[in-house]
Order: sequence, then C-alpha cells, then structure tokens
Amino acid sequence: MLNRIFGLETEYGLLVHQDRPERSPTWFAHKLRDHIFNVQRRGVLDLHHRGHDEPPGNGGFLTNAGRIYLDMGHVEYASPECHSLMDAVATDRAGDRMLQQAIDDLGWTDQISLIKNNIDHETDATFGSHENYLVTRRFPFSRRGLAPLVTFLVTRQIFTGSGRIGSASPQDAWVQIDRLIVPRAALRDGTSAVQVPFQISQRADHIMNDFFEWVQQNRAIVNTRDEPLADPDQYRRIHLLLGDSNMAEYATALKLGTMGIVLQLIEEGHAPCGLNIQEPVETLQEISQDQKRQWLVRLESGETISAIDIQEQFLAAAHAHCHGQDEETDWVLAQWEAVLRDLRGEYAALVGRVDWASKLWLLESYREAEQIRWDDPMMKSLDLEYHNLNRDKSLYDGLVEEGRVPRLTTDKAIDLAADHAPKNTRAFGRGELVKHLLAAGCLSESNEPKADERLFPSYVINWSIFQVRGKMPFSMSDPFKTYVQEIRSHLIGC
Amino acid sequence: MERKKGFAIMSYNTMPERREGPVDPMPNPGSTEEGGGPRRPEGDSPEKGNLLKRMKKVDPKQAERYRQRTGE
Repeated sequence: MLNRIFGLETEYGLLVHQDRPERSPTWFAHKLRDHIFNVQRRGVLDLHHRGHDEPPGNGGFLTNAGRIYLDMGHVEYASPECHSLMDAVATDRAGDRMLQQAIDDLGWTDQISLIKNNIDHETDATFGSHENYLVTRRFPFSRRGLAPLVTFLVTRQIFTGSGRIGSASPQDAWVQIDRLIVPRAALRDGTSAVQVPFQISQRADHIMNDFFEWVQQNRAIVNTRDEPLADPDQYRRIHLLLGDSNMAEYATALKLGTMGIVLQLIEEGHAPCGLNIQEPVETLQEISQDQKRQWLVRLESGETISAIDIQEQFLAAAHAHCHGQDEETDWVLAQWEAVLRDLRGEYAALVGRVDWASKLWLLESYREAEQIRWDDPMMKSLDLEYHNLNRDKSLYDGLVEEGRVPRLTTDKAIDLAADHAPKNTRAFGRGELVKHLLAAGCLSESNEPKADERLFPSYVINWSIFQVRGKMPFSMSDPFKTYVQEIRSHLIGC
Repeated sequence: MERKKGFAIMSYNTMPERREGPVDPMPNPGSTEEGGGPRRPEGDSPEKGNLLKRMKKVDPKQAERYRQRTGE
C-alpha cells in the first residue's frame, strides 16, 4: 500500500496434551526454536545481548528476514517488513507454517499444539498480537492528533475480533486523572464484571488505558513507546497491542489495510471529526461484550452512535480521499464496505471472513447439536481449537476445507514466504545477509553461539543495522529501501 | 514521502523467487449481495459437513491443560 510498511508479531500459546506433562510448555518452546535454527537452519541465532530478556541464542533472524524468539516463555514470530498486504498475509502465515513443521519434524504432532490465540481462559493470562505501521515523523502523535485513531481502534473490533468464550476477571490498572494516579477500579460504579457467554474480542478485557508506553502492564489502545527501528528523523512506528491474532487471511488483510488507510487520513488531515469517544477503554470492553451486538458508543458530544456508523464515517472519508490510489487500497475499501454492510444483518454472512463470526457460528452449532450450556468446559476447548496451527485439527482449517473461507494467498506462496523475504523493503537485504551467513558456515555445527562469540560476536543483526566482524556497521535506516546490492557488495570477502 | 507514489505495490509481480502468488491475489468482492465473502451459511449447519465430526474429536479438557504465562 502507498507509503506504508506493515509488520506483525505473534506470541503463540503452547498446549501440551497430557494430564500431568513431564515437560512444561516453555521446555517445548525452547526445543522448537532450537530445531528451527540448529536443524532446519532457517536462520541465524543472535550472538549478542539484544536486551535484558534476550540473551544470546534466545532467538534470531530468518532467511525470510523475520524473527523467531522466545518472549516470556512464549514462542514468538515477527514477520519481516512488508510493503504490500499480500506479503503481510503470506509472511504471517509463513510463521505459522514454520512452527507447525517444526512440531511435525520432531514427531510431536500428537503431543503438543501451538495455539494462535491471545488468552488462557483458566488463568486470565494474555499474550499478544502486535501490529506495526510505519508513518512519517510528521504524524500528529499527540492526544489530540491520535483521537481519531482511538475511535477507529475501539470500534474496528467488530470485524477484526477473534472472539472468545467468557470474559477476563477485572484487571488491576492505574490511571492518571489530572495529577493523581488512582486505581481504575475507583472510577467504576461498583458493579462487578459480568461473565458473558461469548464476546467478539480476546484482548478487549486486557486493555486498561488509552495511551501508555508499557506493553506488559497497563496495556493501552495506543502504545506510546517511541522506537521507530528506522531513521528517527523521518519515521515513527505506530505499535499496537490491542488487536487479536487472526486466523482468517481476509481479517488479517482488512485489519492491516483499514489501519493503513486511517493512518493516511490522519496524516493528511482528512480523518472524520467529532467522533471522540467519552470513555474509550470502557467502550472497548462494552462493544466486545455486547450480547445484542448493537455496539452503541457514547461520544464526548453526548451523542450515541453505533460502532458500524462510526466505521462507515471513516470509510466515507477514505473513499473520498484514498480511492484509486492503488490496487490494494481499492480492495480494502471494497471489502471494508462489504463487511460493514453485512454486519448490519445476520452475522452468519461473515463466516470465513471475520473470525469472531466464524467461531460463534461453530460454537452455536455445536452447542445446539449437543445440547450443552455456554459454560460447559467443552466450549472453551472448542474456542482454543479454532486457533490450532495443526490443520488436521484446527476448526478454522475445517472451515477452509469446507470451502467457507476466502483465501487471499496460496499454500505455495506461504512456503516461499517462509524461505524468502519480500523483495521491495529492507527485509530483502536482511534476508540476503542471513542466507550469506548460513552459506558461509560462520557458525558452529550446531548453530549455537560459542563462548568467544558471546564476547566478540562475528555478527550482530538488528532490524535497522547490522555488523559483520571486520566490517563497518551497515545501517538500513530506510525500510522502503532494499539495500540488496549494497549488502552484497558489503559482504564480499566475509 | 511523495516519492513513494507509484511504488509497485503488487510485489508478486516483481519477485522472481516468489512467482507462486495467487493468480488473482486480491479477489474482487463478488456480487454486492454476497458482500464478497464465501457463500452464506444460512440454512445449513456444520452437521452437513465434517465440521461437527471435527468438533466432536476435541478434547474437552484441553482448556484446563492450556496453562499459559502472560506475555506482552
């Protein structure tokens, strides 16, 4: 899409299919990572400390220029930088494919499953699907400038949510009111959280603030950490952690595409006005839990309006200002319109395109067939199975097999995206670097960093810069450039 | 960032090592009534396919076994 770079980071849950497993999910996660780097040789492990929680060997870059690593005990995959939605979808699915292949290679297909969801129903643990969007440094990153983005994000869950059984317990959070920092619970009216049978978003219950910079507590609608991973004079990276992991390719493309367009509207001063939400965080949760799916929103103006109406105002602005600028933008506009129209009718029309609708349709069908209640433990297990990466088990893939899901990419394209980087961003250059290091055999047989490598690593790779021993650091500060010829020249003699 | 205008967005067309893009990578929405999605499931249910069979195979205890740590 025009002027945009996309990236997705996915933390996977790991299910061990045993009553009293001898090994923890984290143990399996370590073994999967080791297999991907040491046996399958899909990339090169980091030899340096990337941070306090990322020691050498914790993860590494892949030949497709993305990353696999461990984060808080979870296997995490970060896609390479993508300029097109199709690449974003293919590279996202490539991460799923790589990890499931590692499970199958290790003979663990029946022993464990990776679950691409965002919650543990039993413990209220949550883990993320993070979105990254490159914008110019001129983007109005202030409360006022971001207000339209907050409104868009609170209401987009009606087509981006993945749905879940039940709700999370009230979360502890502190919020700033003028000069006071108070518990969010102090702002509530004393009513306790109500368990709902089903809600449309997995992450809504876990978002506590409108703006905040942390990613593990007090998660915010807009994360304010300023870490562009590019030239900071030119670019800013909008980092979101409120979204759900999507199984449907269509939902993934629509989530990224609509956001890309709304960012453009804000950058160019064309976002719709007068739609500031009175209580964004509460509204996020109310929309998600609304069993009647009326999705009503109270604005600062005092007006009450539906989330669909709000989305349609963003769509109208997008049509007026962005239509015709490129093929992908027009696809997004057409699909955005179609989804909003269908959301006004029976949700079953959205099966295959919108994850919460697919899941709800499956769960309702099962519940009626088996005559069980919403709070039956089986419903939570079915909820998880929707997100299973194992295509023989996944309920999402069951829908695919039944021909109920529109595909935007192909299995072959996904396999290629697992091995090769997109060729129109700096990911191309990084992918060449990783392939060069693998081919040069600069690693030990096991691909494990040796002791002296930890002190004097033969290479250091980060998103926007790398250095190979004996050479000057190589900066890749413009994500729109491939740097591929320069990198090939730079690596001669290495 | 005006210089980026006109950038070849459909990268499958320019990626020699990744020629296996879909024939029509961005399918058209289809008929207006259908809204561009798959066929409507109105009136049918998973019983007619293999979906119910797949759901019946799910371990009812797996949600209890799924003990995850909070991430980011």
